[in-house]
Amino acid sequence: MKLSPSRHPSSYRDPSGFVFKYNSLFYRQVNKLYAADYESFMERLYPKLVEKRMIIPHEEVILPFESSGDAYKMILPEQLLFISYPYEWSFDMLKDAALLTLNIQKTAMANSMTLKDATPYNIQWKDGKMIFIDTLSFEPYDPSLPWIAYRQFCEMFLAPLVLMHYSRKPLQELMLSYPEGIPLSVVSAMLPLKSLFRLHIYLHLHLNANYAGKRSVEPKGGFTEKKLRDIIDSLYSAVTSSRLENKTTWGAYYEEARERTDYIAFKKQVVNEWTIDLQGIDEVLDLGGNDGSFSQLLAMQGKRVVCADFDHMAINSLYKNGRATNVHPLLLDFSHPSPAIGFNNTERMSFHERAASDLVLFLALIHHICLGRNVPLGALAGSLSRISKNLIIEFIPKDDSKVKEMLETRTNPFSDYDRESFEIAFSEYFNIIRSVPLASSGRMLYLMGRKPS
Amino acid sequence: MEILYIDPGSGSYLVQVLIAGVLGIAFFFRNIVLFLRHFFHKLFGKKDRNQ
Repeated sequence: MKLSPSRHPSSYRDPSGFVFKYNSLFYRQVNKLYAADYESFMERLYPKLVEKRMIIPHEEVILPFESSGDAYKMILPEQLLFISYPYEWSFDMLKDAALLTLNIQKTAMANSMTLKDATPYNIQWKDGKMIFIDTLSFEPYDPSLPWIAYRQFCEMFLAPLVLMHYSRKPLQELMLSYPEGIPLSVVSAMLPLKSLFRLHIYLHLHLNANYAGKRSVEPKGGFTEKKLRDIIDSLYSAVTSSRLENKTTWGAYYEEARERTDYIAFKKQVVNEWTIDLQGIDEVLDLGGNDGSFSQLLAMQGKRVVCADFDHMAINSLYKNGRATNVHPLLLDFSHPSPAIGFNNTERMSFHERAASDLVLFLALIHHICLGRNVPLGALAGSLSRISKNLIIEFIPKDDSKVKEMLETRTNPFSDYDRESFEIAFSEYFNIIRSVPLASSGRMLYLMGRKPS
Repeated sequence: MEILYIDPGSGSYLVQVLIAGVLGIAFFFRNIVLFLRHFFHKLFGKKDRNQ
């Protein structure tokens, strides 16, 4: 059978090969063009990177079809639970991805190879760590030449980190606006004057900005390995000295909630009992998961969880604490989830294209979406039914103290927001399997199963 | 003048030569400072077993 695997829409840039999906697994084709580089990479560098858990391990496979004429080998990498993008990562996830890239480049140089690109899209979260996934990013190193990926590293890693450092704000949206990296002229204009007085920042962002986009006579040789090592060390210093520590409303949510320990403890107990009884639950999406307490609970049952929240510090501390290796931290505002971007709007998937789960947890979030953002109950029910087979959702009534605080300054009466309307709206898409009042809080917890469509 | 349709690597070669030059000098002096600090530490008996 002649069958050419169809490329993943994000895998069109590199002539060395491409990613494709076959029988619901992701494979990578290595093209003949890259055969020699691939073999030297496998011999010199791959074992060292795998040993240090820097790159995703793969095995070479033979597939039951004739591939396209330029195919050299097929490889099957270890599969990922979830694909996330840098604009959904917290500061320290991006920072670790930057340091990983520099460490890989150092290891590569020591083994006579070099990275031919430096983009966070080559990195993913896996088992609590950031890991490199593009097996075809390496080429032989010529010490007489500078680093081809230098400008890209500055625009895609260093620029957002340093901007967040100086503004003390999470600025992940910038990476969504500039998917090819933030232009250095923009970065240089946005940075404060004092950044000029830090050597590594001045060199890689300000001085570099003056040369970006200008045609120059490319030097033929004359560079040395020592010079490139100095540049990598300097980038390393610039990255490690960038920090983001800010306080937000929700970081201390559970601290405050301890005052209502009976409420949280009972909710945990119910969620635990319901999920242990549920069959066929492997992938869980915890929306509004905050610092991941409930995600951890499900992870302890052996489920693979994506914990999404719009609060940067909650997601960052979930990543940094790294308490469970099967909880993927994700920075996401469910009322404004990541769109599909890139060429043909298919290069980076929208959140909803990636969100399908066996179970969605939607705890203490409904009032933020339906009252805070005016999303009608029916629209929320429809949206959740497209991504979740099962749903555990908490309904928070209008007379709840937190909701009263929210509504104090609002003129909208939200007359159709009550328990009865909630049950009617959700019953259109789900069967309500169980429900229980949460202690004396007036809140209700529901377990629902999606109606067959 | 900015040229918008060139390879992203362009221009980055020249700037890397320049930056490497600056860093060569900066790291040279840093190493002298580190050496002197180490030397005086040894000389005045403040033993640092890690070095």
